[in-house]
Order: sequence, then C-alpha cells, then structure tokens
Amino acid sequence: MAHTYTVALLGNPNCGKSSLFNQLTGLRQKVGNFPGVTVDKKVGSLPRGEGPPIKVIDFPGTYSFYPTSIDERIVVQALANPQDDNYPDAIIYVADVTKIDKHLLLLTQIRDLGLPVVLALNMMDVAEEQGLQVDVAGLSGALGVPVAPVSGRTGAGLEHLKAAIRAMANGEAGQAAASPFYRMPEPHLNLARAAAEIVPGANTYQGLLIAHHREWLPFLSGAQQQLLGSLAEEAGFVPLRAQVEETMQRFDRFVPLVKKHISEPKAADSALTSRLDQVLTHRFWGPVVFFGLMLLVFQAIFAWASYPMDLIDAGFGMAGEWVRATLPSGWVADLITDGLLAGLGGILIFIPQIAILFFLIALLEEVGYMARAAYMFDQLMQSFGLNGRSIVALVSGGACAIPAVMSTRTIGNWKERLITILVTPFISCSARIPVYTVLIGFVVPPQQVLGIFNLQGLAFMGLYLLGIIAALGAAWVFKQILQTREHSFLMLELPEYRAPVMRNVGITVWEKVRAFVWEAGRIILAISIVLWLLASYGMPGKMQQAEVAAVVEAETSGLSEKDANDLIAARRIEASFAGQLGKSIEPVIAPLGFDWKMGIAIITSFAAREVFVGTMATIYSIGSADDEFSVRERMAQERDPVTGRPVYDLPTSLALLLFYVFAMQCMSTVAVVKRETKSWKWPLIQFTFMTALAYLSALGAYQLLS
Amino acid sequence: MVATTNQTKPLAAFKEGEAGIIAGFSNDQLGSKLIAMGILPGARLRLVRKAPFGGAYYVASGNFRVALRKSEAAGVLLS
Repeated sequence: MAHTYTVALLGNPNCGKSSLFNQLTGLRQKVGNFPGVTVDKKVGSLPRGEGPPIKVIDFPGTYSFYPTSIDERIVVQALANPQDDNYPDAIIYVADVTKIDKHLLLLTQIRDLGLPVVLALNMMDVAEEQGLQVDVAGLSGALGVPVAPVSGRTGAGLEHLKAAIRAMANGEAGQAAASPFYRMPEPHLNLARAAAEIVPGANTYQGLLIAHHREWLPFLSGAQQQLLGSLAEEAGFVPLRAQVEETMQRFDRFVPLVKKHISEPKAADSALTSRLDQVLTHRFWGPVVFFGLMLLVFQAIFAWASYPMDLIDAGFGMAGEWVRATLPSGWVADLITDGLLAGLGGILIFIPQIAILFFLIALLEEVGYMARAAYMFDQLMQSFGLNGRSIVALVSGGACAIPAVMSTRTIGNWKERLITILVTPFISCSARIPVYTVLIGFVVPPQQVLGIFNLQGLAFMGLYLLGIIAALGAAWVFKQILQTREHSFLMLELPEYRAPVMRNVGITVWEKVRAFVWEAGRIILAISIVLWLLASYGMPGKMQQAEVAAVVEAETSGLSEKDANDLIAARRIEASFAGQLGKSIEPVIAPLGFDWKMGIAIITSFAAREVFVGTMATIYSIGSADDEFSVRERMAQERDPVTGRPVYDLPTSLALLLFYVFAMQCMSTVAVVKRETKSWKWPLIQFTFMTALAYLSALGAYQLLS
Repeated sequence: MVATTNQTKPLAAFKEGEAGIIAGFSNDQLGSKLIAMGILPGARLRLVRKAPFGGAYYVASGNFRVALRKSEAAGVLLS
C-alpha cells in the first residue's frame, strides 16, 4: 500500500485547533479511536491537487510533552515513537497569537522531534482588533520554522497554510530544524542517546521523552523499562526536576524572541471576558445563570422539537398507508409497515430533540462557558468525590452518556474520573425522552398549575431531577468506598469568551446525529425486524391453535367483530415466540406491575432505551390489525383481559418510569465504559447497581400505590 | 522553584482583587503543571474572585485565566 502523507494538528487547549481542522478538512472527516482508549481521533483529508489527498490527524489539545491526563498522554505516545501508527510525516502547530508567550512551549518541544513543522499563527483577526503587530518573517527566522498567519474563524490566510502543507507533502519545503531548541545537560544527553537506541528511528529528544515516561509508555517491554530505569539512575536523572529545568530553559529562550517580533497589544485585551465573568461566575448570579440555561435547554427540547417531530410522525404515517395501499397484503407488506417503518420511525422521530440538545451543548462548549461551570461547581463536585470537570460530563450526559463518558478523559485523577464514568448514565439522556413522553401521560394529566407551568412538564423535570439525585448519591457512596492516594487537580484554563463558530457547532451536531442514526439506528432497526419476526411466528401449530381457541371463545361470549379480532390478535401474539419470551420473565417483573408485553420491551430495550417505544409500536400494531392510533393512544386503550381495567394505570406506569430513570438500558454505554476503564469489572458493577436500584424503586412504587 | 524567604505569601491567603509576583512554588508537582501552562515565577498574578463555599480561585495573569483549587492556590507563593 502506498504511503499516505500524514500531518498532525497539534496545539494547546483553546488555541482554536478544531476550527482550523474543520476549515482544512470540511466534512471530509471521520472519528476513530486511538489504540487502547476511546479518545476521539478525528482524521480528515486535505485535497492535494495532484496525487492522493493528505491525511490530517487532529490530536487532543496539550500544554507540553509532560502530560497530566490520558488525553495528553496520547500525544506523547504517538510522537515519541516513530514506529507508532499515528506517527506523522509533518506537524502543523497551532498557536493563539494573543497568547503566544505561553503557546510556544510545546512548539519548541515539537521542533526538537526532528519533524518538519509549520507554525499556524491563529486568531490573527483578534490580534488585528487588539492592534498586535506581528513580524512574521522575523519570527519564522528566529524560531527556524515556516509561519503561516491564519484565522480559523474567518478563514483568512487559510490558502497560504494549505499551500505550505502541500509544499511540505511534495518535499518542496519544511525541513526539520537544523539544531535542537533545548540544550540538554551532558548526563541527560547520554541517557537520551541510550534510550533512543531502544526505539528504532528515535532521535535524541525522543530518547529523553522515552526515558522520562518509561513507566507508562505502552510500546516499551518490561525489560526495556527496567533497563531505562537503571540508566536513569546512573545518570542521576530526576524526572520532575529535569522537566522543570527543560521547560524553564525553553521559556528563557523563546520569550525574548516573541518580544522582539510581536508587539504588546494596544487595546485593553479581553475586557469583554472580564465583564461577562463578573456576572457569569458571580458567587450568586453565576449559579442562577447556570440553572437558567439548563431550564432553557429543557424548554428547547420539549417545546421547539415538537413541530419537526409531528412532521416526521405524519410522514411515516403516510408512508405506511402508501405501502399498505400499494403492496398486496401479506407478510411483505406487514414486514415493511409493522417491522421496518415502525422501527425506522422510532429512530428518526428523535432527531430533532437530539439535534437541539447537541446544538445547545456544543454552543456552550464553543463559547467557553463549560469551563466556568467547572470552576463554579468544583467544590460541590468534590464533596461527591467528583471533579469540577465532571460537570461537563454530567451536562453532556443529558444528551447521551457515550460522549459524556468519553469527555471524562480530561479528568487527571483516576478515582474522580472513574466515579464520573460510573454515575453519568444516571443522568436522563435523550434516549429516555421517548420513554418518558409515552408514559408520563398515564401518570399525570396535562394540567396547568399556577397558570404558567404544565404539570407534565414539571413531572418531566422531576424525572430528570431524580436522575441527578441518583448520580450524586451514587457518587457519594463510591467516594466512601474507593481509595486512592493519587493527587487530584483542578487547574483549569478559563478561555476567552468568543462568538461561536457556527460551522464547528454544525459539524458537531451533524456528527452526533449521524452517529445516532447509524450506530443506534442500526441496532433499533435490526431489533424491530427481529421483534416483528418473533411476534409474527411461534412454535409450529401453537399460533393456529390459539387462534382457533380465540374464535370459539369469541363466538360463545358473543363478542362484536372488532372485539373478536382484538382477542384473536392478542391470543396470537401471546402464543408467538415473543410472547413466550415475555412470559418467561413475567414472574420476575410481575411484582413491579409489569405484564409479559412490557417484559418483551424491557428485554429488547436492554440494547437501547429508545427501543422501548419501537417495541411497543411493533407489539401493539401487530396486536390490532386496524391500527390507526399512535403508540400512546393505543397503549391507553389496552385493557387487562381479566379485570377489564386499563393496563397502563398509575402504579404500573410510574413503576415503568422509575425503572427507566435508573436502569442501565444501553449496550453502547456498557461497551464504552468497558473501553474507558479497560476491564469488565466496572461496567458489570455499574450495570448491577443501576438495575438493582431500578428494580427496587419500581417495586416500591408499585407495591405502595396498587 | 525554591521560594525566596523575604515576605512571600501563599495565593490562598489573598483577598479578591489582590495581586502579586510569583516567587515560587512550594509543591514541585503543582509548580511543574503551572509552568507548563505558562505561569512562571516572575509573572504577575491576580486573584479575581473566589467561588462560593470555599470553592475554586479564579486567577488571572495578563489575559490568561485559570481556575485553581484552594489547596492548589496554597502552593503558589507570591511577593
């Protein structure tokens, strides 16, 4: 296979790297994983004109080659080892020109790797506003790397940067720096050279990094780690001391260069951020604004999303009718309408809510607000064994636990990170919305209270609140159980507030919605079809037997034609494979007030919660052939065959709701937790305690109310 | 890294709005992290505000802002 020219995009957190990545690659990007962890690896491609496109890897933002979180370790792991799959051919280093006196530390380290580097001087638009004068040619000469001034927000200077990258790929420009920036003391130099011998292709600075990080670098064998340990001891190498000496020498050398070629800003910089923070991080108003924003998010999900959702619902209704009218009746038409379309509709209807939720969360992240939330709630989070950064995971958990669990990788402390991962799935995610929507009407009437509040809306908030309480309570319990001596840090940069780049927000929403439709959608669709099969077929003869018995029963008790048809349909599904499956778990769930139909839904929605609604749709549309109701209305019609009372009465519906608030009904989250914690132990523990809490609370609610 | 002896005061003892020059760090691990972020000895640091309930410290050095815990602020010595 021909070698694909690969460039790595690197820079400090908040340097505007993602904007630039989106500018360079547009929608030509894929999200993958770095080996061993689920840290998002965004890979895009940049057209080269002639020849194959250039591969661009977006690495996590990092301050230096001395990492403090898993995110940052990825960078060192890939760049210290020339044999690594993600080892690039060249590097684009992104620095915020308004913070250049801090952002060049990592550049000087990267320069010492011996790879060609282009410095993309980002935020030039802001620099111009502030009256910052930049001598590009002088800076380039002083640092020994090509410099391209750009703005990831406006796109200015982008063509120049692209040209510089293409020139590097064609071998026309971008030589590795002639001499290293950092001058190591003699004993360290010898150690670094010895370490570089171990890894083929490594240069001296990579050798130093390998020796420094020997204890956790995955590409070193146990014997190599031991060898490096004794070499370091001989050289009198004290890692922390060496790291500080190196860092200080780099600053001492590049800060004068920066001062010489970039003027001090004239305008009072970032005054807007200071003024906004007077309110947004205020002792009292800060938290008030935070909860106000969260309320706004809820309002958006429930009020604004209903219009497009109604449209989608109507669209699927029409499609179903069209299929029924066009295709001859038979199993093909049944499969398409009851299996395929019912399942597909169950997926697509949630796109508006998911898109709105991700849009708002991406917006808060993009403008720089999330770091403020972490600052304000760090103390509170700590009392529950969490970190201020956990608030980002908990808020994102309202959209989906999967990206939320992945966002915990910025938490350096293992205990805090683990607890955040374990409790985040308690936060009601968007997949619970459909379940809540369907069931809540059976629990509370759609009344207005106090003139402005909708009772169902309040009940919705109550369910979310319950999830939050469960998350914090569980965190507190884990805090008491888990022990660690590892030091915990907040030390979080509070970036300037910036107007959001809508392209970035749009790309995030697009990615998440696409992932939902493809990843979750495939599962939901497959389950819908399997379910249709299970509900339509049974053990040979059983379903016919049930049908014949039902016909006789209907005749003897003189039922109307419609009631007779319902009875026959109900008896048929009872005798089907799905019915057998549900019946087999009925003894376990009967104390919660659940019947075997709900049993089927609980089993299938172990894959994903939103499957619950699709399952209900499939079961009940098969149950009654002349179905013209939506799922909710159909469920309201459901009567207990013995007592004649509604099946979805208050105790049962409340028990079901509570079950779905607490239960870990999501295969994908289990998989992600397994990958993030690198063992089955934690996802199993998580699954067990969540299911236990779900079962017990549903049991309590049903037994008390019925 | 070593704190100078003449009249240094930990950041944790500062009042809101008070500023000082970083003299050093009393904790090497903490110091190394702050240095990597570009908060170096000799830099001017201002305590902008404190979060409620003994929470985090909002600290600024020029246009660079960072949130530190009280325990972290205790390790930064200013003169």
